[in-house]
Amino acid sequence: MTSVRSDATPALEVAPGVPDLETVYRSYAPTVARWAARLAGPLVDVEDLVHEVFLVVRRRLPEFRGDAKVTTWLYRITERVAQESRRKDRFRRWFSRARQLEIERTMASPHLTPVDDFERRQSAETVYRILDRLPGKYRNVLVLFEMEELSGEEIATLTGLKLATVWVHLHRARARFIAEMKRDSEKRK
Amino acid sequence: MKESTAKDRQTDADERTPIRERWSVQPSGDSDEALAGALLRAAATVPPFGPKNLAEVAARLRSRERHLPRKWAWQIAVAVGLLLFGGALYAAVLHILRGPSPRALPAAVPVSMPVRASARRTHTVVAPPPAPVLSPEPEPSPIVRAEEPHAPRLAYRGATLESAARASLEPPPAPPDNPSALAQESRLLAGAIHKLRQEHDPGQALAMLDEHRARFGAKGALEPEANVTRIEALLRLGRHDRALGLLDGLALTREGVGREMLVARAELRAEKGRRAAALNDFNSLLSADAPADVVSERALYGRATCRAQMGDGAGARADLENYLARFPTGRFADQARTLIGK
Repeated sequence: MTSVRSDATPALEVAPGVPDLETVYRSYAPTVARWAARLAGPLVDVEDLVHEVFLVVRRRLPEFRGDAKVTTWLYRITERVAQESRRKDRFRRWFSRARQLEIERTMASPHLTPVDDFERRQSAETVYRILDRLPGKYRNVLVLFEMEELSGEEIATLTGLKLATVWVHLHRARARFIAEMKRDSEKRK
Repeated sequence: MKESTAKDRQTDADERTPIRERWSVQPSGDSDEALAGALLRAAATVPPFGPKNLAEVAARLRSRERHLPRKWAWQIAVAVGLLLFGGALYAAVLHILRGPSPRALPAAVPVSMPVRASARRTHTVVAPPPAPVLSPEPEPSPIVRAEEPHAPRLAYRGATLESAARASLEPPPAPPDNPSALAQESRLLAGAIHKLRQEHDPGQALAMLDEHRARFGAKGALEPEANVTRIEALLRLGRHDRALGLLDGLALTREGVGREMLVARAELRAEKGRRAAALNDFNSLLSADAPADVVSERALYGRATCRAQMGDGAGARADLENYLARFPTGRFADQARTLIGK
């Protein structure tokens, strides 16, 4: 398991000029993978998301003029790909996994699996169940602040939002998260 | 009104205040913030995306480099579609305006097709002698499509995969001048199976299967076989989530490779905590006529594990004792003995 903020993360400052796909992939694929995993949640296949992101990158790289930082550009692509993946996943679950979720809720204690892994997975499922009820703009800012441990300024750079807007979204995201967390806990009692 | 405006302004100002302290770094406690922090902290841990993952995605990206960009492919497909549609429309309009051509009638009614007597009388008057019967062009995919016309696309047919696997061991035949779509598809799939089983390179196999999907889509005649190969490659790469996603969509039989897929699906479902679904799969594998093979061995131990996790201690113990009786030197025998205290 990786730490909260991986050492592989490149600095947000990027050399000017348009890089080639190989360079972008080599430098940023681990970062993109981490963003994708955190934005989309534990039920997605991260490799598939990274593949999707870099297919878009390859298609759009000739149009990239370096007006925005590479990280900002990549983050926006990742955000859209993760959002699309979540949307598909919601449909998939709605059609085929609704019953499975009910079964998971009534599971007995997993004494044949490592308890800490199980608890971590349960926590992640709870977090993303709650995050799924938040509007995308709040959800993403909260993920970047709490999980990616980015500062307000870094979030503003990455998302292209004004700093004041970042704080507004974060305050609202936190309030909604707590409210949804309480509702979730009530429902499970 | 004034009071409410002032309150809104205050709220706005509060919401713009920078947040200095993260929930996720707060110490444990009973407050809502501490609980939220603990949850977020646990969820922040993500599996590493190591060199193996990087190499695999890079291989998949490279495998598509030969293809047209999706945008152009779509534009060409739409243009061809419009052209065909326009042509068909033009022909239909011409046909309506000119009336039916007497020369077209014999071609529209095959020689062997029963024709109403009155119609035959009319046609025999005007029809020229039938054209000489040419040997028909081979259909692109008669075997696969004719076997199970109404089966779901993902249903597995073991014999075809086995033959494809056998084909991968032999040198590929010389390509015909104008290979049919089925021949091309079969060669690509045989290549993927060869990469997977002979060269032990699941990443490259997956790249070839991606190419297969890009070229033939979900309507390829060998798509079910490609799907099973894809699952095998994903399992070898340890990408269990994706493999399970595909296995969930398969209508698996209890014969041949279908049994192996079924036990893999059951184990993956159990791993993901979907124990009731896993139990169903294990039960179907452990019917009275099930052979005493490796699949049964895995299924029996897997069912014992599932039952134990679902609180059915007696059922789990019975399965483990059955396991030790049937497979005393099996690969889970030591664990089984430990679990039942023998």
